[in-house]
Amino acid sequence: MAIRKSATGARNFSQCDSLLIGQQCGAHTFPYIEVKNTSAQIEHEATTSKIGEDQIFYCNQRGISKQDAVNMIVNGFCKEVFKELPMEFAVEAQKLLGVSLEGSVG
Amino acid sequence: MAGKAILKGISLTIGPGEVHAVMGPNGSGKSTLAAVLAGREGYDITAGEVRYLGQDLLDLDPEERARAGLFLAFQYPVEIPGVNSTYFLKSALNEQRKHRGLAELDAMEFLKLVKEKIKLLDLNEDLLKRAVNVGFSGGEKKRNEIFQMAVLDPTLAVLDETDSGLDIDALRVVSEGVNKLRGPGKAQLVITHYQRLLNHIVPDYVHVLMEGRIVRSGGKELALELEDRGYDWISRELQLAA
Repeated sequence: MAIRKSATGARNFSQCDSLLIGQQCGAHTFPYIEVKNTSAQIEHEATTSKIGEDQIFYCNQRGISKQDAVNMIVNGFCKEVFKELPMEFAVEAQKLLGVSLEGSVG
Repeated sequence: MAGKAILKGISLTIGPGEVHAVMGPNGSGKSTLAAVLAGREGYDITAGEVRYLGQDLLDLDPEERARAGLFLAFQYPVEIPGVNSTYFLKSALNEQRKHRGLAELDAMEFLKLVKEKIKLLDLNEDLLKRAVNVGFSGGEKKRNEIFQMAVLDPTLAVLDETDSGLDIDALRVVSEGVNKLRGPGKAQLVITHYQRLLNHIVPDYVHVLMEGRIVRSGGKELALELEDRGYDWISRELQLAA
């Protein structure tokens, strides 16, 4: 993210939310912010959460498979971002997500 | 769990259409019983078997148990951010229907079913537009469990301390909902700490669980006796008998 010298009164809000799947992963977020105008207002926020076993079990107990449960939870997590994207991107992103999640649950 | 034996001797037969209550003091193994029946991970079953409609229940995955008609009303319903309640429940119902060889319901059919069932629980329809259990009050979460039960129409419903955290009005609404779901071929296992729930959901049989064993079984009057005399007298009698 860069604020140029001429961008007087610029505002920015960056949010980095990570969702961890499985026991062997972690998340590192490096927001890179370059500001060249002192009147700019910059905010940044980061969260990390994990797919809970209790969430998966809850889905399972209603008849939903482990794979579908993870898909559902991850899609729910990404929905906030997807709905901001233009239609064609959102569709694409959804498909990519479906592919990358395939086989990620044992 | 962590090498500790929780359930040590449970022998229980629930017939079609029957309502059984399991009562017991804190730490007696009530919630473990519910968890083991539903197939939650983290419990080693070292001995015994559970037969369900002619199948070996312990052999099935949690989702297979659900599709076979076993429903657990959670003591602490789980929040799933970003996942719409209606979408969640429709997926669950259609998954179950698919495995029973029934046609999946389309959005209109499902909506009709929801509108019919939501009346049973006096639940605000707006809740269904929110993410699963997110931002629900304690009472709403419990009512939502029974609402899901109404939609999924299970053969065996296990209610794990559904009364905990409910005020008197919510308790009445939830109990009435559960009672309307009674019927031939529909069995219920009601797990509770307090007798008060059983004033509303009147069981056919009551079992007392203590230290992982069913130590006494009887009719609904057993629950009243417990309310009157607490759990202590049973422990004392057991000690005398030993």
